[in-house]
Amino acid sequence: MPASTPAQTPPPPLSDAVRGGLTVALALYLLGLALCVVGNSGSGSSALVRTLKSKLFSPWMTPPWLDLGYDTRLTHGLAEDGDHRFEIRRLDDPAAPEAVILPGPAMHGERAARWRRLARATAVSEADPEREALLPSAVSRGAFVPWYTNDVSLRVMRHLPPDWRDVIDGLADVTGRDEQAYAARVRLVDGDVQLITSTPREELAPLVKEPAP
Amino acid sequence: MKTVDQPSSAPSLADLIGTTWTRFWFTPADAWPLAIVRILGGLLALALWASYAWDLEIWFGPHGMISPALLGAWRSPWSVSLFDATRSTAGLLLAYGCGGLVLLAATIGLATPVTTVLGAIAFSSLLHRGPMLVGPADDVVAVILWCLAIGRSGDALSVDRAVGAWLGRPAPQSSVRTQIALGLVRVHAGVIAAAAALAQLKGDVWWNGTAAWWLAARADSPLVDLTGVFLQSEYLMNLVTHAIVIFEIVYAVGLWVPAMRRVIVPVGLGAWPLIGLVAGEPFWGLAMAVLAFGCRSPSP
Repeated sequence: MPASTPAQTPPPPLSDAVRGGLTVALALYLLGLALCVVGNSGSGSSALVRTLKSKLFSPWMTPPWLDLGYDTRLTHGLAEDGDHRFEIRRLDDPAAPEAVILPGPAMHGERAARWRRLARATAVSEADPEREALLPSAVSRGAFVPWYTNDVSLRVMRHLPPDWRDVIDGLADVTGRDEQAYAARVRLVDGDVQLITSTPREELAPLVKEPAP
Repeated sequence: MKTVDQPSSAPSLADLIGTTWTRFWFTPADAWPLAIVRILGGLLALALWASYAWDLEIWFGPHGMISPALLGAWRSPWSVSLFDATRSTAGLLLAYGCGGLVLLAATIGLATPVTTVLGAIAFSSLLHRGPMLVGPADDVVAVILWCLAIGRSGDALSVDRAVGAWLGRPAPQSSVRTQIALGLVRVHAGVIAAAAALAQLKGDVWWNGTAAWWLAARADSPLVDLTGVFLQSEYLMNLVTHAIVIFEIVYAVGLWVPAMRRVIVPVGLGAWPLIGLVAGEPFWGLAMAVLAFGCRSPSP
């Protein structure tokens, strides 16, 4: 006959001191959570919220990855919400195969999504003066070693879905189109990374011909 | 004329808030709901962890794309990651392997009080190592793992509990720690749903009813092709768009109204994965469903 398991006595109730301490801790965390949501909004934040959050809450909410805005917008129908990808080509070998595309066709699920996020961050961060050129050079550096090369062309392409109305009216194809979000030639010269960006044609000033006399 | 103060039987607002607060956070809770969150959240964490495996060295290796120098300029000064200490490929793979094992142990409930804490530390460390790779599912799973680290999720449906029963130890009682963890799960479920709804409503496409089209017409993200359906019916496209936002708002509010919660939480278990599927963020949808599962407890 198996021995019966002893009945466990109920735990003693929390003392007022412990409950008070937990209440303070929970209230602080909830305040921090509220400030993180307001302070990490994609719309920006006020100086007051920014200062309070960065001085009082970010030091202990950032390490556990809790300093977040949770503003998952999914899409706003903007170009930057489209799917992004890398196209990397080595330039020092004319016989090199086609450009490597990341995420490649064999990549699926969350793995492919992480590459798309990296490509998007590469394109979007070029508008940020503090982060400009950081990711393009880093991504290209990552291509130097496995390819035994010092000279690559890096492009970030993004897919622009067509407008629903344009597809209905027959003005656009349902597959949409690709546009170049970023392009640069990246090379390693004497250990230093050189980044030569390509300006999209539409951003160049048009050539104006001299009027005929 | 003489007036007499009538003793009032109605509690003051302060008493009401205090009672509600105490009941919400400090009523001992059974471990079962949190144990199910542990198993489902752990499986999600393992899946997200595994998604780094193929490209780990390309991203984080000694010659990887996301170098410590890049992170120095990119991350918050308060960011820390155990992976920052790895200087070689072997060290990186060792740290990654150990983190995966810890998450597996937490999922099955082995040495749960330790492995849930270590699992949360390992997971947030991996996110800090490459913040530009992180998606919304990672954010939600990080929250779930920290809630598990607080509560006693190993008191049920775990290897720990099976070993305890085998040794003749009594079943653990309800616990305040578990209730605090479940309370935090509900708070985050509501906050994340509300923040998502607010973020979406800042875009015109969520008002003019075409957001579902923009999600479906992307090249690679969608798991199901709904473009043909939306081209057939504008109203259906509008309905899907508005239903997503309305559901998020009702969910965020309904979690705090007991009568609504009984309905909205089971609906959420199905709706969140569907939204994730439509949005091309299936893991985010599943993680939100796991949070919803943690809101099923009968606490106030």
